[in-house]
Amino acid sequence: MITPPNFPPPGSASDPPVVEVGHSRLRLLIARTRLALHSFRAGWSIFMESRIGVLSLVIIGVFAIMAVAHPILMLTIWDAETYDPVTGYAFDQVDQPSAPSWRHPLGTDPLGRDVLSQLLWSTRSEFVLGITAALVTVAIATTVGAVSAYYGGLVDVFFMRLADLIIALPGISLLIVLSALFKLNLFYLALVIGILGGFGGTAIILKSQALSIKVKPYIEAARVAGGGHFHIIFVHIIPNLLPLSLLYMMFTVTSAIFAEAVLSFLGLLDLRMSWGIMIHTANTGGYLMGGTRYWWLVVPAGASITLLCSAFYLGGRALDEVVNPRLRRRHD
Amino acid sequence: MTGYLVRRAGQMVLTLFLIFTFAFFLVQAQPGDYASFYALDPDMPPEVKDQLRASFGLDKPLWEQYLIHLKNTVTGNFGVSFGHFPRPVMDVLIERVPRTAVLFLTATVLSFYIGFFLGKAIAWRRGGVLEYTATISGATLFTVFTPAFALMMIWIFSFRLGWLPVGKFLDPLVWRHAEVTANHVFGQMLLTAFLLTVFAFLALWILRKTGRVGLTRWAGPLIAVAAVVALLLLSLSGIGGLALDILKHMILPIATLTLISFAGTMLLTRNSMLETVREDYVMAARAKGLPEKLVRDRHAARNALLPVVTSLVYSLIFAIDGSVIIEGVFSWPGTGLTLLQAVRTEDLPLVMGAMVFIGLFSLLAHLIVDVLYVYLDPRIRYQ
Amino acid sequence: MTASAAVPVLRVVDLSLRYLTRGGEVKAVQDVNFELAQGEALGLVGESGCGKTSVANCLMRLLPDNAQLVAGQVFLDGQDILPLSEDQIREYRWQRIAMVFQAAMNALDPVYKVGQQVVEAIEAHGVEPTLSLARERVAGLFRMVGLDPALMDRYPHEFSGGMRQRAVIAMALACDPRVIIADEPTTALDVIVQDRILRELKGIQQRLHMAIIYISHDIAVVAEVTDRIGVMYAGRLVEYGPTAAVFRAPLHPYTAALMGSFPSIAGEKRVLANLSGEPPNLIDPPSGCPFHPRCLHATDVCRQEIPPRVERGDQWADCWHPLEAAPALEPADNGGT
Repeated sequence: MITPPNFPPPGSASDPPVVEVGHSRLRLLIARTRLALHSFRAGWSIFMESRIGVLSLVIIGVFAIMAVAHPILMLTIWDAETYDPVTGYAFDQVDQPSAPSWRHPLGTDPLGRDVLSQLLWSTRSEFVLGITAALVTVAIATTVGAVSAYYGGLVDVFFMRLADLIIALPGISLLIVLSALFKLNLFYLALVIGILGGFGGTAIILKSQALSIKVKPYIEAARVAGGGHFHIIFVHIIPNLLPLSLLYMMFTVTSAIFAEAVLSFLGLLDLRMSWGIMIHTANTGGYLMGGTRYWWLVVPAGASITLLCSAFYLGGRALDEVVNPRLRRRHD
Repeated sequence: MTGYLVRRAGQMVLTLFLIFTFAFFLVQAQPGDYASFYALDPDMPPEVKDQLRASFGLDKPLWEQYLIHLKNTVTGNFGVSFGHFPRPVMDVLIERVPRTAVLFLTATVLSFYIGFFLGKAIAWRRGGVLEYTATISGATLFTVFTPAFALMMIWIFSFRLGWLPVGKFLDPLVWRHAEVTANHVFGQMLLTAFLLTVFAFLALWILRKTGRVGLTRWAGPLIAVAAVVALLLLSLSGIGGLALDILKHMILPIATLTLISFAGTMLLTRNSMLETVREDYVMAARAKGLPEKLVRDRHAARNALLPVVTSLVYSLIFAIDGSVIIEGVFSWPGTGLTLLQAVRTEDLPLVMGAMVFIGLFSLLAHLIVDVLYVYLDPRIRYQ
Repeated sequence: MTASAAVPVLRVVDLSLRYLTRGGEVKAVQDVNFELAQGEALGLVGESGCGKTSVANCLMRLLPDNAQLVAGQVFLDGQDILPLSEDQIREYRWQRIAMVFQAAMNALDPVYKVGQQVVEAIEAHGVEPTLSLARERVAGLFRMVGLDPALMDRYPHEFSGGMRQRAVIAMALACDPRVIIADEPTTALDVIVQDRILRELKGIQQRLHMAIIYISHDIAVVAEVTDRIGVMYAGRLVEYGPTAAVFRAPLHPYTAALMGSFPSIAGEKRVLANLSGEPPNLIDPPSGCPFHPRCLHATDVCRQEIPPRVERGDQWADCWHPLEAAPALEPADNGGT
């Protein structure tokens, strides 16, 4: 069997035999993947040229290692009784909080729990929170953006007014009320942040991008070839929105981690442990005004929040230079 | 322009209505019965409870309650605060909104000015030490964990250096023998600041109208003299010491809020500027033989300002959120702290009131930005 | 170099320029020589990417950061402007040499009134002592280019394309420059407006006795209004001479191809030469004659060795196989002096 050298447009009206479709679909997929890999490589090299981008990637990598390290440490050298981030107690120390020591590299908190263990344990939940929120945002925003750009009219007006409304609302204040009244846990918090982001500003940006894709000739070609609305939106428009979506995923991660930390610091969330809660515990115990004396209670957690937020934010900005060629420098 | 303003105001009213509806149903939807909160409050005499119950229709069906609430809200009646009983919610908010407004406005103006200035500088000279330091420190401050940063500021400036008070609005020791209330003093301060601003704008406007380039140079000194006179008058009026006390309490929260929010404007200005410097009119300005400073400020930066102002909405919302956090940490008795205390104590009428006011705040900020944009971009102004 | 009767206002000697880019060095301008006497009009033509605009920017010293001057001098009123400091060059810009920008739409700053943007140039050089005199001067300039002086207080977006182009011309005249560079002055306009503005510009140039350089990809546009013509290809000047002579009998096949690429209504229908393909990549220009990959007459020697200069009267070209004097193509009505 000879496969035709040029791929028929997907979903075209005159479908060749089934096997052929499978075959050419596969080849189409391979071609697309190859193309995507190629542009990814080109983008990657630009990204790696920006020092800030590399730095942010390194920081994120370090935190990822920290997240993975906790369960391993708990299984190997840390016993749960002493090192559990919530219920543990350092019986080996006389005073709590105790200063960093060989057994407790970052000391213990006022309740005798190991700070390093808390820090590592929280890292994982920050990632879970950030990535869940980002995925929810991107899933909603790309769909909303593509749909409003494609259909226009009332659908567009509705989603864009909604987005305007959400932008006009101060998110943290809203989250303060929501989490205080409903005692949100990590998953619901991620969901709320994701929904607010997805129907908010990100949708507007992705819509304007989708508008510029909508007028491209291949969309027209797909339409002429008999592609349905659903097909065009999900096969042609949304994949082209993904690079920009990735960019806004990075920013959503930043705002999710930040929001969680603020709410935890204010003691409004229903979480076991997090960087925000660590600072909250230290603050309510009055240890913060001791200044540098109890530094290990606030510096590791505070620095982690700042570093991870900055890393995602700066990574997003470096990515922006890849996605947005206008920002690039002409030479180096 | 008038038509535009009317249309925007209409939109605002509608949005405010949506925010109110959202707040109402949110409060209703929280676990726990709204009506029974009144019943549980031990401070409240039974007759007051009955009166409130009647005026807010708490025994009626939900939609009727909603309508009654809406009517009350429109007439400025948010009910009585549980936490501040017997003060009405409106009374609490009227006292606190200006305090937030001052904190927020000053910090926003300052951070916009600093951010725009730095942003245009780093875009003009790319790749220098300034760009790296400003980008990294700006982004760090922008993403810094605000409460921790605020606590650090308190620790440095209040505990270690002892220059500024720890937090709160005023120092009770200073006010022990004061014959006037804090609200009166604060009101006088606001009035002074307002008159001074009006004077500054008028002076600039009149000087520019004369059409002589040399005269505008006198605007700065003139405004400075006016400021000194105003401060003298304020201190001679007998409340100078008290005003100074409030002012001292304002410095640290404003500085903190400014530091965390300038970077947004800075990075936006930089990006926007990188685009405008490639425009033909910037090249034309240089070709005309204008000094580099004028090419940068009058042409590149002036056009780069437009997208920055469009995005100012985001910065303002960021600053509103920031001011809620800052008020929480510094115990600055503004709307944000009110909201925090209200949600902690489940003071539901106050929560609703504060939410509506914060919403109103952001809508007003939004409106101001839009009007500013129309003023700055002639292409929109003359449509 | 052709001898010029009058003293040259502008003399470009051995100008070479390159841009440093990610991909390598772009040799944008190479060994360009020409001169311009007062009141003379020179046309620089070539496809886009041939270095015309780079030459123009070099004359104004408006080069991007990644540009590097390899060699050459640009004498403006006898002074080499290339080694001057930024402050010194500012005195030359607009007072000695001004520019009518390509795409006038973008050359006017959208947030300022048009008149204000002209006044700004006058103020920067202190040409008029007061603001009101400066405004009067602008009003005069507006009248000269055929604009109502009342339009001074309008914004660029309120102007039509032709009005903007006129405003940009008025702006270029603001400080009585000795030389004006008109970079694709009329490309964005429709043919009728284009023609009218070109004629008016030519009229103004002759009345004020200025030197002018027209830059265009369209050889027909330049033919109508210039005395001399220089054809650029791949950063080099490949043919140069009096407009009438070049038009009557181009020496270089590229010139002939450029002429062939616009419809000729004069004379019988004939195929001059076909111009296919793209100008070469200047990071790695072709060996020998840069035009050889696209030239119909190319032979081995063209591919390997730099072509010699062929002269015919005042006209010259760098070519191994210069064209014979073909049956005359009607020169444009006012070509030649």
